Amino acid sequence: MLLSAKQDWLGNIRNDILAGIVVALALVPEAIAFSIIAGVDPKVGLYASFAIAVIIAIVGGRAGMISAATAATALLMVTLVKDHGLQYLLVATILAGVLQIVAGYLNLHKFMSFISKSVMTGFLNALAILIFIAQLPELTNVTWYVYALTAAGLAIIYLFPYVPKIGTLLPSPLVNTVVLPLVVSFFGIEVRTIGDMGELPDTLPIFLWPDVPLTFETLSIVLPYSISIAIVGLLESLMTANVIDELTDTESDKKRECKGQGVANIGSGLIGGMAGCAMIGQSIINVKSGGRGRLSTMVAGILLLILVVFLNDILSIVPMAALVAVMIMVSVGTFNWTSIKELKTNPISASSVMVATVIVVVWTHNLAFGVFAGILIGSLFMAQRLSQFLLVESDYDEASDTRTYQIIGQVFFNSSDKFIGFFDFKEAVDKIVIDVHRAHFWDITGVAALDKVVIKLRREGTDVSIVGLNEASETLLDKFAVHDKPEEVEKMMGGL
Amino acid sequence: MTMTKNGLILTGVDGSELSDSVLDYAIWLSKKSSAPLKLLHTIEHSHHSEQVGHEGNLTPNIKEHLLDELSDEERLESKKLIADGKQIIKGAKDKAEAAGVTDLIAKQRHGSLPEALLDLQSQLSMVVLGSKGHDHEGQLHGLGAQLEDAIRVIKKPIFIAKSGFKTPEKVMFAYNGSPTSHKALNLLASMALFKQDLEIHVVSVQKNLSDAQNLIEDAQSVLNDAGIDMIGQAMTGEAVEVITHYQTTHGIDITVMGAFSHGKLHGFFFGSFTTQMLIESNTQFILVR
Repeated sequence: MLLSAKQDWLGNIRNDILAGIVVALALVPEAIAFSIIAGVDPKVGLYASFAIAVIIAIVGGRAGMISAATAATALLMVTLVKDHGLQYLLVATILAGVLQIVAGYLNLHKFMSFISKSVMTGFLNALAILIFIAQLPELTNVTWYVYALTAAGLAIIYLFPYVPKIGTLLPSPLVNTVVLPLVVSFFGIEVRTIGDMGELPDTLPIFLWPDVPLTFETLSIVLPYSISIAIVGLLESLMTANVIDELTDTESDKKRECKGQGVANIGSGLIGGMAGCAMIGQSIINVKSGGRGRLSTMVAGILLLILVVFLNDILSIVPMAALVAVMIMVSVGTFNWTSIKELKTNPISASSVMVATVIVVVWTHNLAFGVFAGILIGSLFMAQRLSQFLLVESDYDEASDTRTYQIIGQVFFNSSDKFIGFFDFKEAVDKIVIDVHRAHFWDITGVAALDKVVIKLRREGTDVSIVGLNEASETLLDKFAVHDKPEEVEKMMGGL
Repeated sequence: MTMTKNGLILTGVDGSELSDSVLDYAIWLSKKSSAPLKLLHTIEHSHHSEQVGHEGNLTPNIKEHLLDELSDEERLESKKLIADGKQIIKGAKDKAEAAGVTDLIAKQRHGSLPEALLDLQSQLSMVVLGSKGHDHEGQLHGLGAQLEDAIRVIKKPIFIAKSGFKTPEKVMFAYNGSPTSHKALNLLASMALFKQDLEIHVVSVQKNLSDAQNLIEDAQSVLNDAGIDMIGQAMTGEAVEVITHYQTTHGIDITVMGAFSHGKLHGFFFGSFTTQMLIESNTQFILVR
């Protein structure tokens, strides 16, 4: 809507700024942690988060949603960075952005309707598990100090909000990242710090074209990564947009969001940042902190950059344990805990789709594969269910020695055997009428099954006639939306 | 002209300062053009939560908890808004009935007024709005927060009440030959309203007088064909100034004009003629998009 532009930016100024500050403070440790997951210097994730948040605030399709460097996309880059280095990651980021813009223009966001609730739950659970697994290197072969610090960090994160008055004023993940370095330097404990993990930003980002040969070989290296990043980025962004739509009871422009994510990634790649997408956790934190407008995302991005450029000396002494605590919190907050309880109560098909999605993701470390597996298994279950909607009514007329089969329901690849099974080929009669006007042939496998039946019956010396084939094969034409009238729906359900 | 015969006259009622006058004009229009009257109250959710927390941490099942909290809060807000709206709309309905409007619909809808107008516009023949709503009460020249948006979204004629009700006698049509003003001319010619004891003035302000005179002649022939007598006046000068001067000297009650023929961006940079007219004039308006 026209009127929404001004409202999106200036409709909620005070709360948007406050929420933006909360998000910026929570975003700093996350952006650093995601850089470490991807295997690049912290500044790569921080510049990315700045660029993506600021750009998406302007061009995104969902006001109040936070986008930045994310775990989901970082996980896809690990091998690219290890084998080819940062410059190739930047190219992959830009290319992923281009693919996302193309996806936006092709209206690919509409394919989100294939992603069931079970797949979405599986996606988030898998993401939570991967984020947790990514913390394990920091927690293995370390001194007990690290465990103690991580536990202390978690205690601060979850318990600080219960402190009267200041508890709800200061974001607890920030308190964690301020208190732990103080403890460490006070007691002189030797632990790994963020400074040990690579460079932090000490200047504002500058525009840079990635230093790679622009050859076909480069393209063949980065393209598979770019495709994965583009898909996963859009998946998480559109899912997050749905979550924010639901939370705030407002609507978003999904097409614009796809294109916006693309523009944001291109922007990130050009200032030396990694690819990112919408962040489900941070977006929820933003809404919880009162953020509703584009201003909140913009404030988060700009403040994040100011914080890290001016406070990089302080940031560098933050122990990794503080970061690990934040990431465990993100993992716990992303996981859908009720889904475990629902494993018992939900239909087995739903549960297996969810579990399969999780298993494939954890196995491949690629959320896109998990989503495809989930969609595939879900579709098989759906085909199985649809094939149950097929039955036959059979009549015998003695005077003319005619057997009539009336077929009612859905004939397609998965129900064609059942369809053939309806016919008694051993019965010797003069004439057989197959009435299919209440049946629907959805694909050529269904039609082939009918052919097979007719040929087989003719071989037995029976005269076969088919009634109502025109109506029955209407569904064969890929004309969707023809069946949206009441009488059509009635017919589809077999006229029952 | 996409006008439906005897489509609804719709008016937004929000209980603001101008609400009474808006309702009076809507009643007058409905009776004059014997069209049914629809009273609409929109329930606008703020979608802003009062219970914000800046903990910034992610707790287990945070989304589910937050959704519960927010929907509870909005449910209470909505219930109150609906109840308040019921009072407002009942008052308006009683008044319209007392004034003798028989064909009357009173409805509440969720969402903003422009959104509602967009959804309902196919059934409407005219929309009656106040030049300002709650947000600008007491401001002398302020235009309503949603007025321009409302005007831009709907393709139907809009009556804008700027001041208290006075039975209209003189109507002025500002004609500049633009496509929207041409539409306005057709509306004038086709609506039953303008054929009944109203004095119709047509003014045209152009760079040179002969252009203006040509436009007046065009209008004359269209209106005369429709059986409407008019007083024409061709003028030159600064349009807003000249027209508002004409309004005051001739005691015009309603100004009819085409509106916002340029995009929003153009208006942002160059200022919109329509907006300026709305601010500077003291008459009521009928705007045609």
